[in-house]
Amino acid sequence: MTPAAISGDLVSRVNREVERSLLRARNGVRYVTTRPNVGATPKDVVWKRDKAELWRYRSDVPIRYDPPLVIVHSLVSRSYIFDLRPGSSTVEFLLGQGLDVFMLDFGIPDELDADNTLETYVDEYLPRAIAAVQAETGVDEVTVAGYCLGGVLAALYAAGYEDAPVRNLMLWAAPFDFGQMGVMVAAVRDGRLDADELIDHTGNVPADALYSGFFMQAPTKQVAQYATLLENLWNDEFVDGYQAMAQWSREQVPFPGAVFRQIVDDIVRRNVLMTGRLRLGERVIQLAHVEANVLNAFAENDNVVPVTATEPASQLVGDPARRTELRLTGGHVTFAAGRHAFKHTLPALTDWTIAHSDELKPPKER
Amino acid sequence: MAKGKPLWLDTVLRLERAVGERVESAVRSDTYFDLVTQANRARALMTEAVESLSEEWLHLWNLPANTDIRGIQAQLSRLERRVATLQKEIADLEADGKRPSARRRAPVKKQTPPPAA
Repeated sequence: MTPAAISGDLVSRVNREVERSLLRARNGVRYVTTRPNVGATPKDVVWKRDKAELWRYRSDVPIRYDPPLVIVHSLVSRSYIFDLRPGSSTVEFLLGQGLDVFMLDFGIPDELDADNTLETYVDEYLPRAIAAVQAETGVDEVTVAGYCLGGVLAALYAAGYEDAPVRNLMLWAAPFDFGQMGVMVAAVRDGRLDADELIDHTGNVPADALYSGFFMQAPTKQVAQYATLLENLWNDEFVDGYQAMAQWSREQVPFPGAVFRQIVDDIVRRNVLMTGRLRLGERVIQLAHVEANVLNAFAENDNVVPVTATEPASQLVGDPARRTELRLTGGHVTFAAGRHAFKHTLPALTDWTIAHSDELKPPKER
Repeated sequence: MAKGKPLWLDTVLRLERAVGERVESAVRSDTYFDLVTQANRARALMTEAVESLSEEWLHLWNLPANTDIRGIQAQLSRLERRVATLQKEIADLEADGKRPSARRRAPVKKQTPPPAA
């Protein structure tokens, strides 16, 4: 390389660094002064009961497949993880594939929800929300996708109702073996952490306690995340993604006390889901009674719900002839965030959904 | 991003892992959870002791203490829950013309989904 070329290269590198420093300063100010544009896909509330809401998303893309897809969110986080930001949204992706997408969101619990039990979700909210989907769309059946604990609720609903209009049931990182759920759950199971001591005066497990639990799994990780953010602060795309994800990680929701006690007593301590049977109200639900096609999708690097906790669902839920297992690379949020989600996870989930749906000819305008 | 990672970032990430692995193994130990439980109990006892003292002092001046407010909040929540339950029962009656509780009376293996309400 000639001296002129070396000096030219040096000048361009200095220029790039100066430019990036200016962008870092601008994005740094933006990062601390603005909130990310989460949950931006337009939607309508089509059903509501207590704090639970059913949303139907709008799109210009016509509906190409029946039945509609209903995402049942978990009880421990905010549902906007599936609509994180424009251009990087699971909901947007699914709408773009021609699916009619609904979201069952349980809201942010407070004192009024402290008495909610598994029955509240499985017998009160889910059947009515699914009936609302039928009323709204005029279809007989739905595809239900339950994320994390929402997967357990969806499976209990599909198994607990003889006429549950569920053609397809997708379990996304849904925990079934609570003996494999990691140290925090093990501490609750063994009584080293007292469930009642985690419940505050509102009757719920406060959101802070849940956040601390997740944070303490890797307390120093945030240092690495901030360092990576600092290095990439010039990159608008990176900053937008980081900001949305960081907000979602921080914004946990309180866990209703009654359902927390029920989960600790039955599902954590006695690990009853692994028996394939759970007593709910006056009946015993058998997970094998699910009549829908079942897809158990889980991620190999999930450190919130490890593979060993999700994998057993492939042997427990539904008819063995109708079960499919989808092993994904990525972590707990691979269903909603990250480049891998949009390149591999969501296309795979959509392919399975479409393969078990009817194509509408001609497509239906929304 | 992995391409051309600067030296400072690489050092921070390596350092974080070196320290992080030790910290993670510590916070996953029985000792850590025992300490957290003890700390939580100690904090609860301390709060209770302080509240009890301040409660006496405030009551002396005929002022409500935090515990009184929490009691009223709990009472109000119970009342709100009752109203919400009644509202739902009315909505259910309007929706399907029958008592919603009747659906659960028979101990059946599986149930029939109710209409949207």
